[in-house]
Amino acid sequence: MESMSPRERVIRTLEGKSVDRVPCFCAMMESRTADEILGKPPISTEFITTNPVSIFCLNKFPEVLTKPIARMNLVKTMHKRNVAQVKMGFDAIWALYDDSWRFPDAKTIAVTSGSIFNLIPDGFGDMTYMYRGPGIKTPEDFEAWPYWPDTDAQAHRVYKYFKKFNAEYGENTCIVGYGFFGGLQESMNWAFGIDKVPVWIKKHPDYVNRYLDIIEEIHVKTERAMLEAGVPIVMITDDSAYKTGPFLNPKMVEEVFGHRYRRIIRNVHDRGAKVIFHSCGDNTKLFDLFIGWGVDGLHAYENTSNVDIYNEKKIRGDKVTIIGGVGIDYLLTERSKDEEIVDKVKELIKKLGPGGRYMVAPVHSEDSLPAHKLQVMLDAVKKYGSYPISI
Amino acid sequence: MKESIAAIQNAVIDMKDDDIKGLVQKCLDEGATPLEIIEQGLSKGLDVVGERFDAGDYYLADLIMAGEIVTEAMNLLKTRMNPKDIGRKGKVILATVQGDVHDIGKKIVGMILSASGYEIIDLGVDVSSEKVVEAVKKENIQLVGLSVLLTTMVHNLKEIGDMLAAAGLREKVKIAIGGACCSQHLANEMGVDAFGESAVAAVGIFDDFRMKLGLA
Repeated sequence: MESMSPRERVIRTLEGKSVDRVPCFCAMMESRTADEILGKPPISTEFITTNPVSIFCLNKFPEVLTKPIARMNLVKTMHKRNVAQVKMGFDAIWALYDDSWRFPDAKTIAVTSGSIFNLIPDGFGDMTYMYRGPGIKTPEDFEAWPYWPDTDAQAHRVYKYFKKFNAEYGENTCIVGYGFFGGLQESMNWAFGIDKVPVWIKKHPDYVNRYLDIIEEIHVKTERAMLEAGVPIVMITDDSAYKTGPFLNPKMVEEVFGHRYRRIIRNVHDRGAKVIFHSCGDNTKLFDLFIGWGVDGLHAYENTSNVDIYNEKKIRGDKVTIIGGVGIDYLLTERSKDEEIVDKVKELIKKLGPGGRYMVAPVHSEDSLPAHKLQVMLDAVKKYGSYPISI
Repeated sequence: MKESIAAIQNAVIDMKDDDIKGLVQKCLDEGATPLEIIEQGLSKGLDVVGERFDAGDYYLADLIMAGEIVTEAMNLLKTRMNPKDIGRKGKVILATVQGDVHDIGKKIVGMILSASGYEIIDLGVDVSSEKVVEAVKKENIQLVGLSVLLTTMVHNLKEIGDMLAAAGLREKVKIAIGGACCSQHLANEMGVDAFGESAVAAVGIFDDFRMKLGLA
């Protein structure tokens, strides 16, 4: 079979068509890894954000200085992470652009969908985010939330970014665009507090619906913007499960989110594009729902959860493209040996490659992993992943 | 009285939170002791919820709803209890390790252990190894539960074990871990005593620790 472009390889894999090789998907690279690939910037993001002058300014004039200091850094960081994935040579990259975050003070990120994250050093000279807690604890908080997204403005910025990014890198990789941070359920979990979501669903269904209207609208608009910019695949993330199973009863998942996701995904399909859906944990009881909503590919099949990726291939492998399989808990960390990664990639390709509809990928966004380990994974896919599989 | 306690048990099982305080008050008025209400009503209700969770009939959200009801009832009962009966199974330190602020799972574990008779000392999130060891020494604790989600922070698990060993306490203290990036493989690698894959598993793990330490 003739060698395919990354874009053709990935899209055909999502369509269940034959390809020249198993593709390799990069699951949203973080700054430490990107810096290893592109070289560290002369002045670290950590310094820019945490020096006394910046801290003073951000605390004193948060709204005025959000754009020049915090958002500029955020945008540069996201772009760096996206470019580094391309430079490594992945077939498909998870490209994030969501600059809607606000910075109420030097240590705080307000995610427009209603939650608060800490802005913290990542230990490698960059800044990263870590969930602090809900921004909306009561119906009164909901009414008073000051950061609801300006959906049209955000969609426009997403369009501009991906138009340029696609023009520059679209030939080298298949861009999986991610224009809004968080899916319907996980945004709600962050906004209301995951331990309070069941209570909100039971006691405040009207607020839940109003909330989901907002999140659905921004998804539709930012995804449409990415597609108009030439992005062929949309990434939707919605962590819906834990290690042992779904957070909510699947019936409730369908009832609360199903009709909305059908609309969101139809919006993408109607424009000739594809959807990859990411959900952490053991989603075994939710996969049929996701497939019913119309997703083309599913990521992550976390190895530290109870999901059985090999069994999924047997029972649902003809209905959806499986993406994942390489653990970030050990294999892709400094603690593993390179040959262990190669062995795992070979095992995955041997068991999941036949029949297509499989992409090798880390099982999660890449939590400050060493670039070298990702390279070992990628090289192994390129070495052993050609069809027909002969491992 | 039996019917009233059964009503409490059913309220937990069916996650009916409308009047749990009223039900508890009725039991107390009928002469039940707080300990009877906890052991025969709330704990047994939670046992059933746990069984249904293990069987896959209940989900994490159901566990949370049941936990909310138990917490509400406990808040009332604690005001009526003999202080000796609070945390009768012993004290457990819970902490999310340094560099990590994820604590939803830890909160649920705390809620379930508390309802099962443990006294919880929750050190919070982003807790340094030194602080965990200090708390173990200060409170003379033998049961520790550590939560970690971030792969980059797992080394703290080993560090806590090593620091306890250096203080001559490792043999007397049992450590369980839980969280998204945890596995039996990681538990073995970090030298801790148990890995819990769900919040429901916590009660069994700590009850087992008590047996092994001769505390039961």
